[in-house]
Amino acid sequence: MNKEIQIHDTGQGTANKLSGLTSTLQVKDPESVTPEKRIASKSMSNENTADKQTASVDQGTGDPDSKQLAAWLIAVANQRDKQAFAKLFTWFAPKIQRVSQRKFNNENLSVEIVQETMTNVWRKAHLYYPEKGAATTWIYTIMRNVSFDLLRKMKSQQNEILSDDIWPMAEQANDDEHEFRDHLLDQQMLNLVEKLPDAQKEVLRAVYFQELTQEQLAKQLNIPLGTVKSRLRLALTKLKQQMANTDENSDTKKSARGEKHD
Amino acid sequence: MIKHHPSEEWLTKFVSGDLPASISSAIAIHAEMCPVCQAQIELLTEKAATALEISEAPLVASNQSNDEVTADFSLYGLDIDDMIADITSDISIEPATASANLTLEVKGNSYPLPRALNAIDMGSFSGLGKISRAKLQLNEGEIHTHLLHMEAGGKVPVHTHKGYELTLLLAGTFSDDMGEYSPGDFILLDGQHQHQPYSKDGCLCLTVVNDALHFTQGISKLLNPIGQYIY
Repeated sequence: MNKEIQIHDTGQGTANKLSGLTSTLQVKDPESVTPEKRIASKSMSNENTADKQTASVDQGTGDPDSKQLAAWLIAVANQRDKQAFAKLFTWFAPKIQRVSQRKFNNENLSVEIVQETMTNVWRKAHLYYPEKGAATTWIYTIMRNVSFDLLRKMKSQQNEILSDDIWPMAEQANDDEHEFRDHLLDQQMLNLVEKLPDAQKEVLRAVYFQELTQEQLAKQLNIPLGTVKSRLRLALTKLKQQMANTDENSDTKKSARGEKHD
Repeated sequence: MIKHHPSEEWLTKFVSGDLPASISSAIAIHAEMCPVCQAQIELLTEKAATALEISEAPLVASNQSNDEVTADFSLYGLDIDDMIADITSDISIEPATASANLTLEVKGNSYPLPRALNAIDMGSFSGLGKISRAKLQLNEGEIHTHLLHMEAGGKVPVHTHKGYELTLLLAGTFSDDMGEYSPGDFILLDGQHQHQPYSKDGCLCLTVVNDALHFTQGISKLLNPIGQYIY
């Protein structure tokens, strides 16, 4: 898959359009962006990294509704948001524990199921698709799979993980190649941003994550506007190169995977 | 056209993870071929998930400090904050592994291997004449699972089942006294049936049987093999 990367003209004060870095470096072909994806990335940016968003989550005194739960899960997927994860944990862990305890009547096992389930929620959140079902249903299936494999291990001393193949989750990802790639892209991008030199990282984050205009940022950092622009340009160029590299790598992997055996 | 499906009772237990791996795999493969059961599984999953919606106080009371974002109830004395910190300390994600498409070669025929069987160890095919089978190493005690291959014109000698026999037709066709079957058919027979499967053009099946020995204890034992491992 050949990805073209678009770089906004950084001199045009486009910084207000803060749909996130992803959309700036997004696949060029507009046809490839499905309506669902647009909705998804919209809700994504609504829940975006800024701390104030996470804080608004705290105000709720009652039970979180399904939208809230989905939003937390998406925040975990896209921003590796630990606060949102803590929310999910406190909401689900006691329930998972109660259900497991009732079912298996085994204290150690139910704690292990809680731990494994929540670990998988953290690690697999990018495989959750809100349009395909409720967060609760998704987490239920994670719990069911964890329980199934743990029990099998206890009973048959079999260590293979069968649940992923019996109840495939990635299969859904195959239906939606674009979204699937996008989730991965977000993660890749965050990793790449981390590797940038501090000065460039600072500018990039301020403009794309914190929604500052370049002028505001120049003032805030007390540096000339031209410096902001050139740092931003350097950062985006570097990102673009690295994205191209990782794309080549993943293409190599893909062709190696197609092999058959019996 | 698929005519034989798992019962709703089995689908429900499939969804909650309460069937043995052999039968769960068979249902998963059937569902992949049968949109009707697939849709029902989705509904049943949503229904089952409501178990996690019931809002009640945590089993162990929390030390109320409402404004804290972090969890502060305890789970059998474990520190929840520690658990959360431990889990989130590793920010890597689980790579989404697309299903590998494996192929099965039997006597010069090749079949796509159903995904549900990808991770299961398999013995080699052996048999007599036109019938050969390979054991799936699921290690489920009295439940034995095989892939059964019949070459064109193959015939299984008349037999009854002391226990239950589940046959999931994966490819090709076969017929018996009760009729003709097509790929995806999920055929459950018990000891009252006597049949002689015959395949005019050859076929590949997944079969799951349990021994008579155990069977005296009834089908619930087959349905609920998990209880005995735990209690």
